[in-house]
Amino acid sequence: MSKTGKKKSKISTKIIYVFLSLLAVIYLLPLVWVIYVSLKDDKTLFVSPWALPERPMIENYTFAWTAGKLGTATLNSALVCGVTLILCLLIGSMAAFAIGRMKWKLSGAVMTYFLTGMMIPVHCILIPVFTRFSKMHLTNSQLGLILPYLTLSLPITIFIMTGFFQSLPNELFESACIDGCSIYRSFTRIALPLSKTGLFVTGLMTFVANWNELLLAMVFISDDTKKTLPVSLSKFVGPYNTNYSQMFAAIVIAIIPTIIVYCMFSNQIVEGLTQGAVKG
Amino acid sequence: MDKLLRDKKAIVVFVAPAFLLFTFVLFIPICQSVYYSFCDYNALTKPEFIGLGNYKQLFTIDRTMKIALKNSMFFLIFSVVTQLIAGLILAALLTNIKKGRDFFKNVYYLPCVLSSAALGLLWMFVFTPKLGINQILAQFGIEGPLWLMDTKGFIILPMWVIASVSLWQYVGQSMMLYMAQISGISSSLYEASYIDGCTKAQAFRYITLPLIRPMVATAMSLNAIGSLKFFDLIFNMTEGGPNHMTDVLATHLYQQGFKYFKYGYASAIGTVLLVMCLIVTFIINKFVKVENYEM
Repeated sequence: MSKTGKKKSKISTKIIYVFLSLLAVIYLLPLVWVIYVSLKDDKTLFVSPWALPERPMIENYTFAWTAGKLGTATLNSALVCGVTLILCLLIGSMAAFAIGRMKWKLSGAVMTYFLTGMMIPVHCILIPVFTRFSKMHLTNSQLGLILPYLTLSLPITIFIMTGFFQSLPNELFESACIDGCSIYRSFTRIALPLSKTGLFVTGLMTFVANWNELLLAMVFISDDTKKTLPVSLSKFVGPYNTNYSQMFAAIVIAIIPTIIVYCMFSNQIVEGLTQGAVKG
Repeated sequence: MDKLLRDKKAIVVFVAPAFLLFTFVLFIPICQSVYYSFCDYNALTKPEFIGLGNYKQLFTIDRTMKIALKNSMFFLIFSVVTQLIAGLILAALLTNIKKGRDFFKNVYYLPCVLSSAALGLLWMFVFTPKLGINQILAQFGIEGPLWLMDTKGFIILPMWVIASVSLWQYVGQSMMLYMAQISGISSSLYEASYIDGCTKAQAFRYITLPLIRPMVATAMSLNAIGSLKFFDLIFNMTEGGPNHMTDVLATHLYQQGFKYFKYGYASAIGTVLLVMCLIVTFIINKFVKVENYEM
């Protein structure tokens, strides 16, 4: 490359960096802002929403946590998402093992059946599932939320885990088989431990997706003590009086767990996302 | 070994839980939903078959449906086009820089994992008439528009605002998918092209773009289905208001089904949504997807 060319590319890299940094500011600013605005009282919030708070109001958080019932909501979310996560990994990897490793005629067809689930918008099943569940007294219960969450999380889990199981070397299973290992044991003792990364990645994705889910939770749960986080948030907005500073505290409470999970495991989340799509 | 892998009983044990869940919570409800869409059915009555009645009402009388269809189509086109362009640009820029690539990547992807319900509330405040952005504009003597309440024009301002927020939130996903695909392209292809006197822009046009085309199809269908499903942000930013002007299919369905308890009618909206998802996926796969190139 000639000298002028090098200079030119240096300038263009600088421009790229400026552009990317500006964009990063657009991404981070609202998140930083919501954290410090959640520490203001309502009055200063209305006068100067963009200024830093004079005295941090921790009360906003305690109010949102107790009176706003966000404490219970967080527990509910954790319970629902946790149980869904465990069941999803177990049931999903069982099916994935059968599809990816075992030999049967219908495995391709069953896989397609599961994968069509990725294309179905949840809205289409909302009404039949709701009416069925309310007959079975499953609405307003955590189990009623876990079942559809679990079902909707299965396709991506099965998809990613099938890929993982298929990539395991054959010899492992052959030697286990020679040693008299049953198919169930080779699933729990060989396939699962060797696919820890896959389980971890799919687990993260399932957890994040269910943690943020709003529509199903809103429709299925009307009991205040059983609401999940995203649903409880809307309680802070009323048609006539919205308590903004407490609403912001609530927003922070709702997004902090995912931000922490993301900061810790961003690489795995990214890997899971791309793995889910690349093979498609 | 082979016998073990063909063990019918084990296969059934492994697949049955997922299969049963899928059938009872997903497959049967979809069939039911399609059936309900031909029924007069609400919270107090049993479903009663009325043929195309719901659809007739939906497409001829219902004014909100027209708006919702228009808004959903706008949303679909907007997010597919802008996510494709913005996602590709970001991916191309990020693969070209060395320092800080992971930082920028993680920052842009961050909103994707956050709750859109929470972010919707946050942006609702930013765009309230007297506070937020308008207060900053006022300091410069500019009177900001009513971001979320203006109703002028074919595609009203609130829809543009919401669409931009959704672009902000989800562009990271497209970017990530494209980056994954670009990083899989062998660098020898680029080296060869540079030796032949190819510029970076040309290399992008003639090497990168054709090679990531399969991923473009995948990302586009994800975006398209995602935009049709779109609910959380709108619900928390405007709740479909003012006067149903920002309703999309999903919010319309929610209101009809769970505010007015018109189950049959809401099912018809759901069926329209399902059909749209299938058509869009079909079109994208037909026209964008190509056989994988050897890489």
